[in-house]
Amino acid sequence: MEKLQFEYTTSQPIEKAAHIGVVGSGDLEIILEPTQGNKTEVNILTGSDGFGEIWKSVLTRFFNRYPITAKITIHDFGATPGVVSLRLTQALEVLDHAE
Amino acid sequence: MLNSFVELNGRERAKALLDKGTFRELLGPLDRLESPHLEPQGIVPQSDDGIILALGQINTKNVLIISMEGAFQGGGIGEVSGAKISASLELVLEENKQGKTIYPIIIFDTGGVRLQEANYGLLSISEIGNQIVALRNYVPVVGIIPGRVGAFGGMSITAGLCTTLIATNKARLGLNGPEVIEQEAGVIEFDSSDQALIWNTIGSNQRLKTGLVDAVVEDDTEVIIHTIDSVLTTKANPAKTEQIDFYLTLLKDIDLSLEWTPEKYTAYSKLLQPVQQAVPMAREGHSASSNSRGYKWFSFLTGIVYPTSSVPSVLAADIEKNGQLCRYISIVPNPNHKFPRVRNGEVGLLEGWTVAQVVRDVIQQDENKEIKRPIVAIIDVPSQAYGYKEELIGINLALAASADAYATARHKGHPVIGLIVGNAISGGFLAHGLQSNRLIALDDEKITIQAMSKASAARVTKRTIAELEEATKKVPAMAYDVQSYSTLGALYKLVSNINPDQPTEQNIEEIEQTVVEAINSTKGTVTDLSYRLKTKEALAGGRTATIKVRELLKEQWKFGHMIL
Repeated sequence: MEKLQFEYTTSQPIEKAAHIGVVGSGDLEIILEPTQGNKTEVNILTGSDGFGEIWKSVLTRFFNRYPITAKITIHDFGATPGVVSLRLTQALEVLDHAE
Repeated sequence: MLNSFVELNGRERAKALLDKGTFRELLGPLDRLESPHLEPQGIVPQSDDGIILALGQINTKNVLIISMEGAFQGGGIGEVSGAKISASLELVLEENKQGKTIYPIIIFDTGGVRLQEANYGLLSISEIGNQIVALRNYVPVVGIIPGRVGAFGGMSITAGLCTTLIATNKARLGLNGPEVIEQEAGVIEFDSSDQALIWNTIGSNQRLKTGLVDAVVEDDTEVIIHTIDSVLTTKANPAKTEQIDFYLTLLKDIDLSLEWTPEKYTAYSKLLQPVQQAVPMAREGHSASSNSRGYKWFSFLTGIVYPTSSVPSVLAADIEKNGQLCRYISIVPNPNHKFPRVRNGEVGLLEGWTVAQVVRDVIQQDENKEIKRPIVAIIDVPSQAYGYKEELIGINLALAASADAYATARHKGHPVIGLIVGNAISGGFLAHGLQSNRLIALDDEKITIQAMSKASAARVTKRTIAELEEATKKVPAMAYDVQSYSTLGALYKLVSNINPDQPTEQNIEEIEQTVVEAINSTKGTVTDLSYRLKTKEALAGGRTATIKVRELLKEQWKFGHMIL
């Protein structure tokens, strides 16, 4: 198990919290919560060690495209980068529906 | 499949059952009630600990849905997830007592106890069972087994307690999973790679034929909603756990020298005519039939020399002490047992149903009496029985029957005292001991209190035995010794300086005195299991997460209630 933390400067605050996913094999859960300021902090707890660089590229690509400001918690159980991107995008959809 | 229920995750299932716009989640992911016990063991937690609680409506009827997320840790029940279930059932019970009908609906998708929080899982499951038995007096408790994981382990006992059980044709129900039976009893007993055998034995269609589930429906959300709605409004049959004469007749009658295929067993059970069975009370025998602690302590406490009975593996006797009649019950080894898998004192089919019989006998005898006879369960159970015939006939229901009987006795005002003199393991402990409103244990290093043997627990959690032992240092609920167990707060008393194998007369007197004190301590108090949450040890950290779950749920419940 490994703890990772990333921070991004962002510009689009979210208004509501959202949750998506399950900590099942090859999957993950993501919690997005509103926060003040223009920093997005991503806290990851992952069952698969040694993938910090890959997380960084997946997240960087995501925030370049969707610079949402939020406090993000991820509980990962071995999701592939593709699944991570998919779940992040789904979380955005949940937010849109919620708003 | 277009409208599949099985393919949905736990939260989606709860939403899918409820009328549009009525889903209101309690203790959801944003409340972050994660298990505090997983991270120290290097396991990633989930923000709802794998249990989704939702208030809402099904065809405008108020319901509480408890949905297990089978994809997270196999739907295993730990401290937080267990407390979410039992605390929400308790609040539903309270509402129904107040005249507000809320139907509890439990979606099972679970392997049973979460082995990484072992003893918390066992405690929780007994507390959940206690609530279900109490609730059945007010509303039907509906269980649904959609499938993927199914309902196994301690939670198969919980399923057996439900008023009505609905399954899809993709579901399985059994006490011991095929892999665990193979690990404990060998491949000859059960070949866990033989999928056809597994489905024919514990699959929902077979379970329907022998009455262990009430309906098998296709995997379609609308069909499931319709089935739930219809069972909420029709009068329920007596609980499955009350078929004591049927199962005792069957177990006495069945010829185990024959080969029992599922088809053959189904045909046999359909033709069986139940005969009323006499209650087997212990009497003096000619020689000791066992030297187990459960056997010896039954003899010490009842004064019966070389006790034996017509069901030698279950000893029961009424003994008067200090002017008070008490029923003592002990499960003991019978080396000549008809069912070979219980010859070491394991709790099997016959033991579950016989204990249910002797406990219900006390309830019946005292029905019109103001003072209810105390029941003392002497606990020395190495495990439940692991076997093919046990699963085929439905050992989960046998253990549910005895747990139900103890819980019912307690609810009716019988003090139920559990005295741990030997091992207290897993399903055996759930059936015989964990429904006690007071638990007493001898402080002895040889006593093991756990959910699974070290070898099996290590295999299931994919660890070495050394790694497992390392984890027990961080999480006392995973430990195997009685000292660690006492830190969880479940014990009324841990009695030191008693020789468990050859007690002196003073030793026996001290234990008798402790039992009397425990009985007296129940007088005029609640008849549920909440004592365990209020002991010094529970408050000092033993049940911290449980207490937090209960408090937060109560707060949210008021709000949820208002909008319902």
